[in-house]
Amino acid sequence: MEKSNKEYRLREVKCPAGFNWVNLKAELRAVWESNVKAWKIDLAYPVSFIRQLISPVVFMLPYLLYGLVLIGGRYSENLKQLVGTGDVVAFIFTGYIMMGFIGTAVWAMGFSMRREQWFGTLEAIYVTPASRLGQVLGMALHSTVHQGAGTIIQFIFIYATFGLALNIGGILPALGIFALMMFALYGFGIVISALSLILKEGWIVSDSFYSIMTILSPVAYPLTVLPTLAQQASAIFPTAPALIGMRSFLIDNYVPEVVGNVFLHLIVLGAVWILFGVFVFHLADKYVRKRGMLKKF
Amino acid sequence: MMQSAYEQSPWRSNLFVVWNELVKNMKFLMAYPVIFIFWAIFPIFWFIPFILQGEAFVGGLQSANFAQITGSGEYVPFIVIGAVLNSYVNTLLYGMGESIRREAYQGTLDYVFAAPCNKAYVLIGKALSESVSSTIFAASQLAISTLLFGINLTLGMMLPVFFIVILLILGLYGLSLVLAALSLMYKQSHDVSETIGYIFYVFSPVRYPIESLPSWAQIIGKLIPLTYALIIVRSIMLLGMGLSALYWEILALLIIDAFLILAGFYMFNWMENKTKKSGTISHY
Amino acid sequence: MVYDKKSEVFSIQTINLTKRFAKKKHRGVFGFLRRNQSKNKHEKNNHVTVALNKVNLEIRPGELFGLLGPNGSGKTTMIKCLSTILIPDEGTVTVNGFDVQKETSMVRASLGMVVGGERTLYWKLTARDNLMYFASLYKMQRAHAKKRIEELLETFQLSDRADERLEDYSTGMRQKVAIARALLHDPPILLLDEPTLGLDPNFARQIRSQIKELSEKYGKTVLLTTHYMDEADQLCDRVAFINNGNIVAVDTPNRLKAMVKEKELVEVTVYRPPVDIERHIRSLLPDAEVVKLIPGNEDEGNPSRIKIIGGTAEDVETIIDALRQKNVRIGSLNVGVPTLEDVFIKLTGAKLTEGGMR
Repeated sequence: MEKSNKEYRLREVKCPAGFNWVNLKAELRAVWESNVKAWKIDLAYPVSFIRQLISPVVFMLPYLLYGLVLIGGRYSENLKQLVGTGDVVAFIFTGYIMMGFIGTAVWAMGFSMRREQWFGTLEAIYVTPASRLGQVLGMALHSTVHQGAGTIIQFIFIYATFGLALNIGGILPALGIFALMMFALYGFGIVISALSLILKEGWIVSDSFYSIMTILSPVAYPLTVLPTLAQQASAIFPTAPALIGMRSFLIDNYVPEVVGNVFLHLIVLGAVWILFGVFVFHLADKYVRKRGMLKKF
Repeated sequence: MMQSAYEQSPWRSNLFVVWNELVKNMKFLMAYPVIFIFWAIFPIFWFIPFILQGEAFVGGLQSANFAQITGSGEYVPFIVIGAVLNSYVNTLLYGMGESIRREAYQGTLDYVFAAPCNKAYVLIGKALSESVSSTIFAASQLAISTLLFGINLTLGMMLPVFFIVILLILGLYGLSLVLAALSLMYKQSHDVSETIGYIFYVFSPVRYPIESLPSWAQIIGKLIPLTYALIIVRSIMLLGMGLSALYWEILALLIIDAFLILAGFYMFNWMENKTKKSGTISHY
Repeated sequence: MVYDKKSEVFSIQTINLTKRFAKKKHRGVFGFLRRNQSKNKHEKNNHVTVALNKVNLEIRPGELFGLLGPNGSGKTTMIKCLSTILIPDEGTVTVNGFDVQKETSMVRASLGMVVGGERTLYWKLTARDNLMYFASLYKMQRAHAKKRIEELLETFQLSDRADERLEDYSTGMRQKVAIARALLHDPPILLLDEPTLGLDPNFARQIRSQIKELSEKYGKTVLLTTHYMDEADQLCDRVAFINNGNIVAVDTPNRLKAMVKEKELVEVTVYRPPVDIERHIRSLLPDAEVVKLIPGNEDEGNPSRIKIIGGTAEDVETIIDALRQKNVRIGSLNVGVPTLEDVFIKLTGAKLTEGGMR
């Protein structure tokens, strides 16, 4: 086969790279498109989509009904002695909001790479110049909005069924605490996504952490019910301080179980988890590429 | 000379199918020891929050309101029994609903369906393996719970409890045949399994007595086999009642079981023929 | 192909590229009680496979280069090392002048990859959605990506069905979308890993003609891995044979085929040959370089073949007598016309369609 004797050169490639605004914009766009992709795939399974929207209500109900049956009413004297308020409905509702966002970190983010492996698209994603973290953050964005919608549905249900008395003026600072908590949870989620990529049974990692964090977070009980060691361990996860902080703004007469500046605590946790998460993810990325573990699930 | 497969009695070859399916699925499970250990231990973590919640709300291990409704104020064994029996529902519903989909994913489904045996027996084999593994996991969780939470468990209770568990499993077999039938046609079997799981979780007395639900919800709850299994097992273990005192609940469970099994076999055979005609068997 | 032979500009270059995989040995529950002779602890506990063994490869810009070898020979491992999916254990690899380990992002921006098999796209998304998503991963600007996607959909005749989900597409159409994805950012280099695998002949022909066009018309460097010798023969400027992780030969298809001279190749199609026929003929032709029985599938009209390389035309009578002695029915007999498979068999003793032999 003869070709013309053209002078062949290496072709210049125009692709944003490095620490600059153009590259950052491109990476953010990749995160956004990951989020859009996740929504489109979600909506392609309408039954599953609707089920996932109502699942926060389904899983909160047992906590509520069980709590009401235990005390034979809405107000618990023992709870009041522990945290200053005996309203179990407000206590459980504010706590249960957290469960969905723990799921964001350990399932949505934690399983994002595994999910791509299952689709068969992980290698196709790996050969593109955009950061792998963009995938994980795209799922984080998608799941956060998804959970947010679920939380609104939860609120409507609780308000309609049981009535709910929350401090309206405390919503803004509670949202501030929530934002800081999500920042730290994203870092934690990046760690989980790295671990689930390395370990063959990655779902066990996600499930285990979900269970542990649920126990260590004061979702349905005050932190003081846990053994001392468990209470100390809960400080490394953002959900415990965030829940306590949010409750202190949203529920009247609430006495926080832990004294301290929740904002500062969450800022420090956020910085630590994000940095640790990026570091572990980078190591995991190299590890799986060294061992050839990216192939189809 | 070995008897030709076609000369064997139908019952013998059906049992052979069931046995081989059971052995195959158990070998799959044993190939993943980490998963095995996980299911034997970790589900305990899922009900620990309820125990801690109880402590926070009532300030002890006894609830007067529970005692008024159920006859026993001990909420910890109430929760443990609910969790252990509910785990059967989870593994059988999801395991069966996904079993066909897994065969399709592995590419073996066409070969299974091309075989001359009645496919319902393949599913029974799968269900049997799920039951065996569930029983091992449930026993492990119960043993750990007994040590951690001081639950009273005597040998005299075990036989009647085991009998009721078998009745529960039979009903769930029927239900899982229905789900397997649906998964043949509608690829999102996971959604159907999960939705049914939700219904069981909310309307059955897994975490709370059925009497605490509104009356319309109690009617739904009384159509679910898990409800009767929970009531009977709790009555045996917490109130010391014998099977003869629970005659009506056992009868209700048997009736529901019979209905589910018949419905399951019928639906599965109907769906199998339908999907063979439409050619959508292995399109997962 | 006329090249400036002194030119040292390579689109793809590997120097002593080595990749090993270790897989844990399953020794059973009581395996720890069994003695293992290996002194090396890593080897005691792991099977170590050398997938690529000090591979040196140089592909020039604009070349359509074929990598030909049986299953398990290292083709896919090579593609993965070039595309940064795998990190080599030893050696250096440069793609478009960028080191795969140090300038990973630029390597990824320089190439587009297509693998055979169906599951590399999102079936629940439309072709347009798939391409838009991957365009963002290639860091393309939105307006530019939209325009480029429309061009590619037009080129691959997918415009009419661009807004249908991929689950409703045929295998060939999905492969077209996969190729379109690889071309989104107009990379100078394409890595095609068995791109026609599993496609029907009509689609496979279309894909091949598109590959040829990409190289000849658009001057892209294409590295194509395949075990279809006709494909490599038809398309490639140069071909490398790979077997058990080693490059066995590299040259143009014509020069490679010239290694098996016409008079040296005898091919006989036979029906239901006995198992020992290969050994029997070999005993009668001790000077033949290769005597190989290639089993066929007679139920599908594909009889077995016996290839003798290194024999002479005078040996034909001996071969026919040997077959008659064994009551083997002869279909046809050809002398000469070597294929790339014949060269491969001569060099390695293995068929292209079987796993690599050790």
